[in-house]
Amino acid sequence: MFHMGWFLSTGFGVYDWKGPWSGNIRADIGNPELFLETAAALERAGFDYMMLEDSSVLPDIYQGSYAHSLKNAVVRYDPLPLVSLIARHTEHIGVIATMATSFYPPFLAARLMSSLDHLTHGRVGVNLVTASPHAAAQNYGLDEHIEHDLRYAMADEWMQVVSRLWESWEPDALGTDENRTVYVDHTRVHPIHYEGRFHRSRGPLNTLPGPQRRPVVCQAGGSPAGRELAAEHADTIVSAVVGVEAMRAYREDISARMVAHGRDPHDVKVLFLVDPILAESNAEAQAIAQRRREAAASDVEGALAGMSYVSGLDFSQFDLDAPFPEVLSRTNGHQSTVADYQKAGEDKTLREVALTRSVKDSIPLVGTPASVADQMAEAMEYAGGDGFLIASAVTRRNVSAIADGLAPELRRRDLIRSSYDYGTFRENLLSF
Amino acid sequence: MFHMGWFLSYTVQNWRDPWNGNGSDLWIEPELYIEAAKALERAGFDYMMFEDGSFIPDAFRGSMEYALSNASIAPKHDPLTLIAPIARETERIGLIATVTTSFYPPFLAARLASTLDTLSGGRFGINLVTAHNDRTAQNFGLEQHHEHDLRYEMADEWVRAATALWDGWERDALTLDEANGVFASADKVHYANFEGTYYRTRGPLNLPPSPQLRPVLCQAGGSQAGMTFGARHADTIIAQAGDVPTMKKFRETVRELAQEAGRDPDSVKILFLASFVLEDSDRAAQEKDAQMRAASEANIEANLAMLSFSSGIDFGKFDLDAPVPEIETNAARATTAHHLRNSEGRTLREIVSTRSTGAFNFVGSVPTVADQMSEVAAEVGGDGFLVQAPIIPRTVHRIADGLAPELRRRGLIRADYDYHTLRENLLAF
Repeated sequence: MFHMGWFLSTGFGVYDWKGPWSGNIRADIGNPELFLETAAALERAGFDYMMLEDSSVLPDIYQGSYAHSLKNAVVRYDPLPLVSLIARHTEHIGVIATMATSFYPPFLAARLMSSLDHLTHGRVGVNLVTASPHAAAQNYGLDEHIEHDLRYAMADEWMQVVSRLWESWEPDALGTDENRTVYVDHTRVHPIHYEGRFHRSRGPLNTLPGPQRRPVVCQAGGSPAGRELAAEHADTIVSAVVGVEAMRAYREDISARMVAHGRDPHDVKVLFLVDPILAESNAEAQAIAQRRREAAASDVEGALAGMSYVSGLDFSQFDLDAPFPEVLSRTNGHQSTVADYQKAGEDKTLREVALTRSVKDSIPLVGTPASVADQMAEAMEYAGGDGFLIASAVTRRNVSAIADGLAPELRRRDLIRSSYDYGTFRENLLSF
Repeated sequence: MFHMGWFLSYTVQNWRDPWNGNGSDLWIEPELYIEAAKALERAGFDYMMFEDGSFIPDAFRGSMEYALSNASIAPKHDPLTLIAPIARETERIGLIATVTTSFYPPFLAARLASTLDTLSGGRFGINLVTAHNDRTAQNFGLEQHHEHDLRYEMADEWVRAATALWDGWERDALTLDEANGVFASADKVHYANFEGTYYRTRGPLNLPPSPQLRPVLCQAGGSQAGMTFGARHADTIIAQAGDVPTMKKFRETVRELAQEAGRDPDSVKILFLASFVLEDSDRAAQEKDAQMRAASEANIEANLAMLSFSSGIDFGKFDLDAPVPEIETNAARATTAHHLRNSEGRTLREIVSTRSTGAFNFVGSVPTVADQMSEVAAEVGGDGFLVQAPIIPRTVHRIADGLAPELRRRGLIRADYDYHTLRENLLAF
């Protein structure tokens, strides 16, 4: 058995703005309905969670302007209010929202998450990101972003403070005194007096401990610093590596790092990003995949804008048909992704790299639900991973194809859960 | 006509009240607040305002015991998590939640507020507080809190930074040109490039403009610095004054300050905190009020704890039968001053035996209270009242289904919402 999640790649944003199946997209802007329907469909399908990615930036690296972002609807509402709404619309599925450790005051984050753990009845998670663009740092008052490894050191400390705050109330602090003499036993609530290099907090938190006490922690960094952070703190990891060999190596690396941190490797679930293409016949699915590749090939600009955002380097400045430039030493952005670009560019031009890069597919999944289910089973068998995260655009058509086409096929083979055995997100995540 | 609001917290709603249902844990669920919001919307209220705080009081006797064992001030959950669920099940009532300018990064707050304004269809507001307790500051990493007036100076800059972000997208920036695939127009979106002494932000926000563009701003500080700040920025101000002359003076002062700041004084709606004892007859209400007063006066412990909370000073350590000592506080100055007013020559026991919530207390049958409200509003000159009471269904219904219809019949409160957004409804009269 493996776990399934959905990675909402632009959080509470606008999906597939120019796509043919995006419905009456005007009515979906800033409207929670699409996401509530998605949550209900994924719950029906037995998904463990949906993960709302986030960013505080209107990307403006490409061509030194946000014109491309605005034209293409690269906008994001704050995903946290969506968590409260999804909680009321569902009963079992976990909901993970992203927080940037570099800018979110730890006390604020710990309290907000604890409040949401109550509202979701123990189904909330936090995805830790350090945020990469300088523009994000500038929105929060810095001249430029903190150096890559330093911000991971800060994130590690941030997670320690937040964890201590969540633990500042003993689980049984809330009395069950029928005579109403004592609501909370104050001897079971403690200040934390956390004094770190970057963060300080006295505590205790002023919220009741939530059903999970500690919300599920998710992390997605591919760099060594990111993997360390994940191995130390995470319950689930989003991996963007490509190919079964890399998947297997990634899972092994995480397991080894966890052992070094004194953790049981089974206590983290590594989910790999995929973007399945499903159709009624394999040939039809292949044809759709081919059309998608052609569409992507006609949109060099979109590819370059995406690469510029991730790396923080304006790729419009380079000659498209010259050998791929040296970029790795110039980035403070997503280190592992930029390293992938550099490696892909060893004997290629920029145009070739832009048109072939695939950042959201660990393995290509193309075919009928039955054949895709086989491919997934095989990949998991080999990689030793724990499941997949669907990173497809959030359109009703894609959601239905996965929830009502692929998931039943996986369920019939006992590859995914047929019911939720526990009340909380973490218990379900760790149940196999 | 005057405006009505309800002042509440996301906390245990009077744990020991005999009518609070299963009050130990029901307060956590959104249903309680959604039901209240529906009732208040039916009653024509302008808004619900969630105050907030980020610490467990421990000044009193140097311990968290009083606060935690009595569910007083703590626990308190983040009210921003309740706004979207309430908005989804209501249509017109405004929803205001508290944000601490001293610790909430302006970009984070501006973005969240804009999201909530969109989700509520333009009915969201933020209540700006600077936070008053050193414990809050310590939770956020400081040794002690910034000096009282400095934090208002910071708050002023904070609002200007947030406003620069809200103003970054012009109202018609979204082109939604599906034929040509153009979502928004770059020449209608602008960097904030805000550079202040305490805050900097580059912008723009990464989300489309919300219905109100700028959420409604609410403010509640009664100190000189607080009033100046409110007069400069707030659409609505929450005031505590126990008697008509103080209310009148407060309103006049704020209106003058607003004028000095170049604003139309009518664009600031001042709502006074009010408490209600409503019964079937005047006599029953007076008896009930006397009972409540006696119970409150006998509860010296609670009053000492409240005074310790607002001042940050342990009032448990003073001799109850000696004169009240001189108090210099960096915490909630106006509230502390209110509690200690006329303290000269009186003992601490005398002071804390006089109930004083800071709210104007209306006592009587529904018609009598409607008369009283009408008179007070006429004397003070407007703008309305804010009910300060725990969200207990029985209490909500007395106000929403007993008092409000009477006020409406007399044309004292709105019969209908004429607009969709909070600010428009607030400024409608």
